[in-house]
Amino acid sequence: MIHGIKEEEWNDFLEGRLDEEARDRIEAHLIGCLYCWELYRQMARMTQALISAGEEIRTAVALQDHQLEEGIRKFYARISEPNAVYKNPIQQRLDALTAILASMCGKETAHKALSVAAQTSPARTIDQVTLDNWTPFLSNLKSIATVMCGETGAHLVWESGQL
Amino acid sequence: MGVDASLVMKRPSSDNYRTGAKRLEEKQAIELFLRTRTEESFCALFESLYARMRRYFLLRGLESSIAEELAQDVMFIVYRRAGDIRDQELFHGWIFKIAKNELLRHWRRERTRHEIAAFEPLSDDLAYNLTTEFESARVTDFTKWLSYLEPADRELIILRFVEELSYEDLAAALNIPIGTVKWRIFNVKKKLSSIINTPDGTTRRIN
Repeated sequence: MIHGIKEEEWNDFLEGRLDEEARDRIEAHLIGCLYCWELYRQMARMTQALISAGEEIRTAVALQDHQLEEGIRKFYARISEPNAVYKNPIQQRLDALTAILASMCGKETAHKALSVAAQTSPARTIDQVTLDNWTPFLSNLKSIATVMCGETGAHLVWESGQL
Repeated sequence: MGVDASLVMKRPSSDNYRTGAKRLEEKQAIELFLRTRTEESFCALFESLYARMRRYFLLRGLESSIAEELAQDVMFIVYRRAGDIRDQELFHGWIFKIAKNELLRHWRRERTRHEIAAFEPLSDDLAYNLTTEFESARVTDFTKWLSYLEPADRELIILRFVEELSYEDLAAALNIPIGTVKWRIFNVKKKLSSIINTPDGTTRRIN
């Protein structure tokens, strides 16, 4: 708070959003307070400078037509793929963890590791792993990975499994 | 001493932040998609929002190809999960929250990769190609100002002044109260004002 004026009020005043009563109060204060007057001047200029700079950025980083077309093409290719079934974040994570473990100890062992981690967690089965029981599952998997792949591999599993 | 008329005239308002036509077009595209949820209606939304998503990631320092990839991911999530949105009026807050989460996920992946991989010196050619669109373009005032800020404040300023999110959308995107959004914006402006030369050359510092 500066001289009884909250930062939120300053912000609204600078953007012309204050109600009449509050605006009058601040304007009356500005007439008699050199410090706040100077602050107001600098803040008003800064606000204007940020708006102008924002406009400049929008112009400078405008998407070219060919980039937009390419983006649309990629997007529609993605959603129209027969196998583009939407995977929820848990399934995506499970797939990623399987891939990581498979690269270190083989695909079959990776699947087994995930199953055992689920069995010994509140989820009980891999299909029942959800957001609610994800952390104990991941913790179990990290312990298993430590034995199978060492500390570095376990760390990779732990970090990659963070939702 | 009275309030400077020229400054009052320049006060920004939410009404003059974007050109009305473009904003209306985007609003209509959002409404149409949320109502119909068809591929066709999403196309108009994609045209409007993909550029903004890509720009958001570029301004957060990612290179073009990664920015495009993450923008695609955000649009895919929007397409699939449009039914999850609770308040249509806060659509922009919702989509930028998704973008923020995708960015965090990307950084987490990168951090893991860097911790695991041994550092190898970059060849000159590779280092040259690893510049972002902003690094290769001229450094604007805005990007220079962003460098003075903490990451959280950078995001706030990008969302407010480049993406022109309303305070309600900002609060939804950042998961903080509106009052906190205003408080933080004011303090960021104050900080920037105290360390940079304002357009008219004023350099006086405010403590």
